[in-house]
Amino acid sequence: MSNVPETAVDSGPGGPHGESVIEVADLVVRYGAATALQGVSFSVGPGEAVALVGPNGAGKSTLVNALSGIVRPASGTIRIRGRLAHVPEGRQLFGELSVEDNLLIGAWGRSDRDPAPVYAVLPELRGLARRKAAALSGGQQQMVAIGRALMARPDVIAVDELSLGLAPKVVTGLAAHLRALNAERGTAVLLIEQNARLAFDLCSRAYVLEAGRMVVSGACEELARSNEVARAYLGGGTGEEP
Amino acid sequence: MSISARHGARQARRGPAEPHAAYARPRTGLPSPVLGGIAATALATLLLPLVLDRGGLALYIDIALSACVVVGISLLMGFAGQVSLGQAVFFAIGGYTAAVLVLNDVPPLVGLLAAPVAAGLVALLLGVPLLRLHGHHLAFATIAVHLIFLVVVQQSDTLGGNVGLMGIPGFSVGGIDLADHRSIAFVSWGVLAVVVLVSHNVITSRPGRALRALATSETAAESAGIPVGRYKLTVFALSAAFAGLAGSVWAYYVGFLSPGMFPVSMSITFVVMAAVGGMGSIWGALFGTTAVKLIVSYLGMLGTAGGMPDYAPAVLSYAVYGLLLILILLFLPHGVVPALRDRIVRRWSAPPRTPLDTAGRDPGKAGLPPANGRP
Amino acid sequence: MTQFLMFLVNGIAIGCGFALVGSGLVAVYRITGVVNFAQGMFAVVAALSATSFVALGIWHGVAELMAVLVGGFAGLATGVVAVGRRGTQPLTALLVTLAVGFLAYAIEVLVWGDQPRSLPGLDGRAALLGVPVQRQYLLVIAVTAVVFVLLWLFFARTYLGKALTACASNPYAARVVGIDVTRMAFIAFALGGVLGGVAGVLVAPLRPISFDSDVSLIVGGFAAAIFGGLTRPMMALAGGVLLGITEVMIRAYGDASYGTVGALVFLIAIMIWQSARRPTLHKEAV
Ligand SMILES: Nc1ncnc2c1ncn2[C@@H]1O[C@H](COP(=O)(O)OP(=O)(O)OP(=O)(O)O)[C@@H](O)[C@H]1O
Ligand SMILES: [Mg+2]
Repeated sequence: MSNVPETAVDSGPGGPHGESVIEVADLVVRYGAATALQGVSFSVGPGEAVALVGPNGAGKSTLVNALSGIVRPASGTIRIRGRLAHVPEGRQLFGELSVEDNLLIGAWGRSDRDPAPVYAVLPELRGLARRKAAALSGGQQQMVAIGRALMARPDVIAVDELSLGLAPKVVTGLAAHLRALNAERGTAVLLIEQNARLAFDLCSRAYVLEAGRMVVSGACEELARSNEVARAYLGGGTGEEP
Repeated sequence: MSISARHGARQARRGPAEPHAAYARPRTGLPSPVLGGIAATALATLLLPLVLDRGGLALYIDIALSACVVVGISLLMGFAGQVSLGQAVFFAIGGYTAAVLVLNDVPPLVGLLAAPVAAGLVALLLGVPLLRLHGHHLAFATIAVHLIFLVVVQQSDTLGGNVGLMGIPGFSVGGIDLADHRSIAFVSWGVLAVVVLVSHNVITSRPGRALRALATSETAAESAGIPVGRYKLTVFALSAAFAGLAGSVWAYYVGFLSPGMFPVSMSITFVVMAAVGGMGSIWGALFGTTAVKLIVSYLGMLGTAGGMPDYAPAVLSYAVYGLLLILILLFLPHGVVPALRDRIVRRWSAPPRTPLDTAGRDPGKAGLPPANGRP
Repeated sequence: MTQFLMFLVNGIAIGCGFALVGSGLVAVYRITGVVNFAQGMFAVVAALSATSFVALGIWHGVAELMAVLVGGFAGLATGVVAVGRRGTQPLTALLVTLAVGFLAYAIEVLVWGDQPRSLPGLDGRAALLGVPVQRQYLLVIAVTAVVFVLLWLFFARTYLGKALTACASNPYAARVVGIDVTRMAFIAFALGGVLGGVAGVLVAPLRPISFDSDVSLIVGGFAAAIFGGLTRPMMALAGGVLLGITEVMIRAYGDASYGTVGALVFLIAIMIWQSARRPTLHKEAV
C-alpha cells in the first residue's frame, strides 16, 4: 500500500536511496504535546528481514503507523521504494466481513484482486474463505491479517506484534510462513515483536527502540550476544545469571 | 474525525478527553478586576432600560429571558454533559402555568413563582426515564418530548388548544402595575440575576465541582462515588426551572400564548446561543445569547427594510443560526467566552515562562522597548 | 375489514417513508458514527425540487430522479461540512448537521417560500385483493421494496459496498489498507442524501411538504432506524412499517390528533428499553 504521507514519499524507481525499501531519517511523531518518536532513523534493504524490538510504549506501533501513512510525522523523511503493507497490532480485521472479503479489501486501490496467490502462500485461508472474520481464532485472524496485507502485493511487509496473545505453537506456524515469504518470494519483512527471541531468530538485523529513540542496532546474532540487550529482551543474559 | 475516535484501542490510549482548561483550574475567589467588571456590567445593564426606546426594550427583554434558558442549557450541556433539544418546552410550560393561574385570578406574582416549580417538576418526572439516555438518543428523546408537548397543548381546552390563550393580564405586584415595557425589562433583569446567582452557587458548590467530572466522563464520575443520576436530574430540573421562570415573564409580557410560538427550532436556537458562548460557562451563556440576538435582530432590521420580500427576516435569521453554529462548532468548539478567557488568563495570571515571552507581550512591564520594531 | 386493509396499506406506505429516511440515517451512522439530523432535510429538498422540476414541465419520473440527485448533492455537502474536518466528534457532528439543517431552511425559504407545496403523484385507486387502495401508496411500497433490495445488494455484493462496510466495521483497519475513510464518509452522506431524496419524492404526493417538514421526517426516520440500533437497514424497514401502521391505526380507530404521539412515545420507549439492556454501550456511544 502506498499510503505514506505524500510529502515524504518517493516510491518511484531510482530514488536517491535506491538500495533500501524503507529509508527513514530523523523521524519525529507527536501526539498533541507528547512526542512518541524523537528523531528515529533506520532502513530496511530489499528482501531483508529486520526486527524492531523495544518495551511497551517505546513507539514501535507509532513508527509503523507513520510508515503506512496513518499518523503524520511532525518532521523527518520516510522513503518507501515499492509498496509497503501493514499488519496492524491486534490484527484489526473487518469482523463483519468474510475472510475472503477481508482479503479483497486488502487489495483496495488495485485492479488485480485475485486472492489465489495469497492462498498459495497461506493455504489454510482457503478453507476459511466463507467464514466471518470475527468468528475466527486468534491465530486464524493473524493469518487473515497477513493475507490481507499480502493482497497488496507488497515489496515489504511490516508486521506489528506477530505473536500477541497467541499460543507458542500457533506463532511457530505463522513465523514459518513469514520466513518462507521472505526467503522464497523475496518480500522484505519488518517484524515488531515483544518476543525478541522469536524476532532475532527470524530476522538478520534488529533495531532496539526505547522511549522514541533507536538505542541499539546491529546483526541479530551480535545483539543476542550483547548482555544488555539480552537481559532486557531475552529474559536474562546469555549466561545463566537469574 | 469521528472515525478515529470510534477506534477503541486508540481512544483508550489517549484516555478521556482532557477537561476544558477552565474547569480543571480550581477557582478560589475571583480577582478584583473581574468582580469590578461584573459589577459594572450589572449596573450598566440595569440602567440600560432607562435609555432604550420601545424596540430596544423589546430586544432587551428578549435577550434577558432567552439568557435564562441558555444559562440552564449551558449548565446541562457543559456540566452534566447532556444535550437537550427540547428546552423550549419548559419555557412554554412556565408561560402556560403563569397564564392559566392569572387567568383564574391568581396574583401574577404567585404565577411567576409557580412557573419554575411546575417546569422543574415536569423535568423531574421526565428526567427519571429520559436521563438514562445519552448523546443522540437523549437529543432525539427531547425532540420527541417537544413534539408530544405541542400535540398535548393543541388538544387541551384549558390551554386554549391551537388558538392559544388570549388576554393574559400584565405583570403586577401587590397592585403596583409593572406591565409596561420598561418595568418588564427590569423584571427580566431581576429574573436573570436570580438565575445567574443560583447557577454561580451551583457551579462553585461542592456538588458543582463533582458535576464537572460528570461532563467529561460519566463512568469515571460514577466510579469516583458521585451520585451521577441524582446530580444529572437536579441540573435538568434546575435548567427547566430557569426556562419556566423566563417563560412566565414572557407570558405576562406578550399577553398571549399559542403552541405555534414554540416550534422545535426554538429549542435549537437556544442550543446555538449556548454553543456560541461556550458550554458550561455562565458568562458564555450571557455573551452567546446577547451576541446571537443582536446579530439576528440587526439582520432582521435589514430584512424588513424596503424592497425586501416578506420572508427575508426569516431567511436571514435561519442563515445566521446555521452559519454561526457551524463556524463555532468547527473552529471554536469550546465557544467564544472560554476561548477568550483562556487567552486572557494566560496573558494576565499565568506566571511568565520566559523573559522573552514577557517582553513580547507586555513591554511596559518588562521595561523593554517594544518588540518587532513597532513604535 | 376492507377498511382495515385500506388503513393497513396506508400505514405501510407511510412507514416506508420513515424507513427510507431511516435507511439514510443508518447508511451514514454505520460508516461515520454520526447521527445525521439533516437527513429529513434531504427529503424536503428533494420533494421541493421535484415540485419545481414538474412546474418547469419536466416529465414525471425524470423530475423525481433529478430531485433525488439534488438530495444526493445535499447529502454530500452536509457530509463535507460535518465530517470533512479532522477531529470532529460524532456528537459535535450531530450538532453540525442540525446547523446545516438551519442553513438549508434559509435556502429553502429563499427558493421555494415558506408555504407548503405538494407534488402530484399517481392518481386514482387500484384494486388489491378486492380492496381499493390509492395507487400512490402502492408505488411508495414498491419503490421502497426495490430500494431496500438494491441497498442490500450494494452492501453485500459490490466492492464499494464492502469497503463501506469495512469502514463501518473497523475504520482504523480501513486506513491501514489505504482506504480514504473521509472520502468514504462523504460517499455515505451522498448515499444518505439519495435515500432521503427517494423518501422525499415519494412522500410529497401524500402530504404537502414545507421547509420545516424535516423535523417530523427525521424523528420518524430516527424512530425507524433506532429499531436496528441505527446499524441495520432491514430493521429500519421493519421499524418504519410498524411505526407507520401504528400511526395510521391510531388515527383511524383512536384520536386522529394523537397519531404522531403514539409513534413518539414508541420511540422513547424503545430507546429506554435498549439502554436498559445495554447500558454501557449507550454510555460509550456518546
Ligand atoms: N493515538 C494516540 N494518541 C496519543 N498517544 C498515543 C497514541 N498512540 C500511541 N500513543 C502514545 O505514544 C507512545 C508510543 O506508543 P506506541 O503504541 O507506538 O508504542 P509501542 O512501542 O507500539 O507499544 P506496545 O508495545 O505497547 O505496542 C505511547 O506513550 C503511547 O501512549
Ligand atoms: Mg505497539
